[in-house]
Amino acid sequence: MLALLRGGPRYGFELVRELSDVDGLVTSEGTIYPLLTRLRKEQLVTTFWRESESGPPRRYYELTDAGREALDDFAKEWARFRDSVDTVLTKEEG
Amino acid sequence: MTTMQAERLVDDYLSRLEEAAAHLQRSRRTELIAEIREHIEAALREEDAAGEVAVRNVLERLGPPEEIVEAAEPAPEAEQRPTGKLEVAAMITLVVPFIGWLFGIAMVLISKAWSNREKTIGTALALLAVVPFLILAIVDSYTESTSTTFETIFFVLWVIGGLPSAVYLGLRLRRDD
Repeated sequence: MLALLRGGPRYGFELVRELSDVDGLVTSEGTIYPLLTRLRKEQLVTTFWRESESGPPRRYYELTDAGREALDDFAKEWARFRDSVDTVLTKEEG
Repeated sequence: MTTMQAERLVDDYLSRLEEAAAHLQRSRRTELIAEIREHIEAALREEDAAGEVAVRNVLERLGPPEEIVEAAEPAPEAEQRPTGKLEVAAMITLVVPFIGWLFGIAMVLISKAWSNREKTIGTALALLAVVPFLILAIVDSYTESTSTTFETIFFVLWVIGGLPSAVYLGLRLRRDD
């Protein structure tokens, strides 16, 4: 979720659609909004309003500095985890 | 552009969401509903369709309102409504005339098993016994009346005054088990 926001702010619908397209695990798109609320409470994400070319203003979600940091930490952690798994898997094969 | 049927589908969906979110903090509930409403509007604009089928598809992808609320905060039903000794004691106490009514009311107010609404109704029912009983007792001590009707009312209040409240509260507890 945080990774999808790395490229810049997104508005709710766009973000949710993308996430549910990427991630086959999302069965109910609506449940992503409570998750966003939680991220905002943890101050990893902020929201703001922006005019849209078609229709009413939209609520955008954006990474905070803390959010960016959390994402970097996670990316590092994930890389380490992936490497360990890879190491074990290649050993098994060999 | 939006057909009446489609509009009603959205309204139904949002009111289901509102109902399911009743236990959320007001600010969180309002926000969640606003976000979902915006999502529906954006989705329909994106697909450039607002017919019944389009709406049904958007709502389908959103998932059941109950599930969305569950993701926000699981309903606290089980944890917030324990039926413990306090509740049983309160109901038994409520049946004991006068002193019991007062103690019973106090216990009901302390308990977390009943909602505020149920507490209010339960207390009001108990007060329906307490207040007339007090009035009758005062009137009695002043007038030395020996009317049988008077004695009967007094007696009936004495014996069953606390029952309506105890029964009501008991039923409310059971309904949620």
